[in-house]
Amino acid sequence: MRAGVRLERTAEPCVVVIFGATGDLTKRKLVPALYRLVQERLVPAEFAIVGAARTELSSEEFRANMKEAIVQFSEAKSVDEEVWESFAQGLHYQKVDIGTSEDYVKLAELLERIDGERGTQGNRVFYLSTAPSLYAEAVKQLGQSGLAKPKEGQKGWVRVIIEKPFGTDLASAQALNRDIHQHLDESQIYRIDHYLGKETVQNLLVFRFANGIYEPLWNRQYIDHVQITNAETVGVEGRGGYYEKAGVVRDMLQNHVFQVLSLVAMEPPASLNSESVRDEKIKAMTSVRPFTPERIRAECVRGQYGAGSINGKQVPGYREEEGVAPDSATETFAMLTMYFDNWRWSGVPFYIRSGKRLAKRVTEIAIQFKDAPHKLFGSEMMEQMTPNQLIIRVQPDEGITMRVAAKVPGQVTRIRDVNMDFRYGASFGMQLAEAYERLLLDCILGDPTLYARTDMTERGWEIVMPILEEWAATKSEAPFPNYEAGTWGPQATHDLLEQAGRRWRRP
Amino acid sequence: MSSEIQQGTAAKNAPQAIDVGRLEKELAASWQSAGGAEESGVTRVCVLNLIIYATREEDRAQRDELLDVVTAHTPARALVLVADREATEAKLEAYVSPLCQEESRGGAKRVCGEQVTIEASGASVETAASALEPLVVPDVPVFLWWKDIPHGEDKLFNRLVELSDRVVIDSLVFDQPHEDMQQLARIIGTHRQYLLASDLNWGRLTSWRNLVASFWDVADYRPHLDALDDVLIEYDPPDAAPDEIAAQALLLIGWMAAELKWQPTGELVREGKSARWVLQAGEGRKINVEFRPAEDRHGCDGLIATLTLKTAATDAEFYVGVNEEWTKLETSAKIGDARSVGRVVSYEAKSEGERLSRELSMLSRDEVYERAVASIARLLEVLQKS
Repeated sequence: MRAGVRLERTAEPCVVVIFGATGDLTKRKLVPALYRLVQERLVPAEFAIVGAARTELSSEEFRANMKEAIVQFSEAKSVDEEVWESFAQGLHYQKVDIGTSEDYVKLAELLERIDGERGTQGNRVFYLSTAPSLYAEAVKQLGQSGLAKPKEGQKGWVRVIIEKPFGTDLASAQALNRDIHQHLDESQIYRIDHYLGKETVQNLLVFRFANGIYEPLWNRQYIDHVQITNAETVGVEGRGGYYEKAGVVRDMLQNHVFQVLSLVAMEPPASLNSESVRDEKIKAMTSVRPFTPERIRAECVRGQYGAGSINGKQVPGYREEEGVAPDSATETFAMLTMYFDNWRWSGVPFYIRSGKRLAKRVTEIAIQFKDAPHKLFGSEMMEQMTPNQLIIRVQPDEGITMRVAAKVPGQVTRIRDVNMDFRYGASFGMQLAEAYERLLLDCILGDPTLYARTDMTERGWEIVMPILEEWAATKSEAPFPNYEAGTWGPQATHDLLEQAGRRWRRP
Repeated sequence: MSSEIQQGTAAKNAPQAIDVGRLEKELAASWQSAGGAEESGVTRVCVLNLIIYATREEDRAQRDELLDVVTAHTPARALVLVADREATEAKLEAYVSPLCQEESRGGAKRVCGEQVTIEASGASVETAASALEPLVVPDVPVFLWWKDIPHGEDKLFNRLVELSDRVVIDSLVFDQPHEDMQQLARIIGTHRQYLLASDLNWGRLTSWRNLVASFWDVADYRPHLDALDDVLIEYDPPDAAPDEIAAQALLLIGWMAAELKWQPTGELVREGKSARWVLQAGEGRKINVEFRPAEDRHGCDGLIATLTLKTAATDAEFYVGVNEEWTKLETSAKIGDARSVGRVVSYEAKSEGERLSRELSMLSRDEVYERAVASIARLLEVLQKS
């Protein structure tokens, strides 16, 4: 019956329960994404959402808040009234205090009622958008109240999405994994990393493994080095208290950036099923060369921003931000030089930088190829001496650019770089789905490919722990602040590449 | 796309002040509407970023006209920063507009770039670079056209230089050519690692340098090169600094001194409005260089009118001069009593837009220009000390 209806994947009926429903993420991302899924007919009519939080709210009030949120935060900046009416009928609110067992009994009753009214068949997605310290308790309560498993005799399924950060170090991540595994199977756990929902990140797999021409070059024979830049222009935006304990390595590098990194470095998977892809990702990350104190000092750079200007406006330094200690040693910028000790990547440095209050908001991967083996054209002909580069832009303005040398038209031979460009917006002329739309749909469909597995989260922590420990032990030596807001980070990052005869590209 | 664009030349919408952070979205939206408005459509192209720094006083219509010329050669993203440093109120406003070629070629889509104008005043001028940087299109070169006298201590200038692959100036606008040229040499020296410099005034000298160099392509003339001992440069003195040697004349002698290894001796003689420097070649030969305001040439502020090179030992004279209408260059070469051999060639009276377009096609380092500027700075320094 579905032949020809052009929907590759169809979701089963279900209820999405959002814990932390009065929080920012729900308003900004989750409900607008779910609304779009409904609008695009990607979920069936037998679909409902339950917002759950400590605040006393009626379902009516919750609906009004969410309607406002969709108008404010969706790309369209409006709602289609008819679609909204239909969407709102399935939108409920239940007061739930994470640690109070009785609240889960009430929640279970509500879910059962919704199953009866809307035919959601006992299928549940629980989205933990709460404070990270409550993840284990929420899962425990779900387990003890019987909500973590389908009802006996029923065919339904239960999945739990857990937001980042997943632990604050290796020990806490391992402890959290142990705790949640007491109540959930690994197949039920969806650790979300919204970077993996971005089109260009997904396109990495297609680009590498659906084209015949790139994979033969994707190795140490042809690639000189790789640069990954993950830059934000924002500061801590009132989250100084949280950020003081986190820092950029915990906040961005060990999760978002490592996920992207693993897709660049992985071997081709045997198939596209979720376990094959995730097996290859963890295999690549297992070969990351461990960081020793010597390597950290020589090949890594930490930074903290001072006052400067962003988008033409003066901004304060990190230490002047609310909730930040005036002598804080928390890093807002980090650069790591990483090596994969395997056959494919032996000797190829991966330079990774991530930071706040940088010159431009951008996330990109730049693959720099080696120079042509013989310089046939003299330097007087080469107007630009950049070797070939492949740039994969993750955000904003998603796309892929290949830089190649070409002759400038004219009687003499002058050589210049030209770009072969692919831009999602221009090429497909359609609005890209928000990362959360894709990831929520994947979870509803039971596809965990783009979610992090236990081993990956723990491996991320294993890699960065020596850095966190070394920097904590030497925090009095940190020369903070060491970069001006609105620049590309500490001078030491540029010096480090320059010493290797390379330079950071300007994204 | 607006009706203005459909009509052709004036491919700019009425300015609409918007939030800097939203500029990219505005641009994307303007392109979406542009695609549908014209029958044959438009193609959005960006082969380079052109940052233009201009002062508030500058004529906007003139700048728009110039950008039309540049776009015809080089579709680009033009980031125009209009600065009002004297204002007391700090303000930063930005607006976007497409920048299209006048005509489509053979019914094909018209090629368009885009223009983002940022108007900064007061204290916002200093932070304006941070508003420009996120708007720079990656993976294409960044040119900075600094339409003012560059100062090494200017924070904005330094930030924009760091952002750029090449800086274009025009030393013709120098109002204190001696000091400004030394300043320029210091800037090039300080930022040499990443700064590539272009000078529209140097571009105006290309024909002159070509004609001078071509004298020595003739084998019979070559021996006279090592016997040169008298150089006369006549120029129209710049109105802004009538008592100083014009920047173009300085560049010309700087080039000759650098390429022929002439060193300053510190000897300077002033005779009325003329100035005479004494330089020295490697073998001890003295070269008298006279800079003389051209009495009969006016209306070409700061430009060279004639160049005469002589040798006393071999009685040779080589001459390049522009005619009174500033349309042709004439050359002549005379050895002893022999008949003078000469030719007349067109003088490239290019517009500012055409000159700029030419500079935008250059990406390699102009070592000869850098040597010429360094040489002038050395000559001026020695003269000041003596």
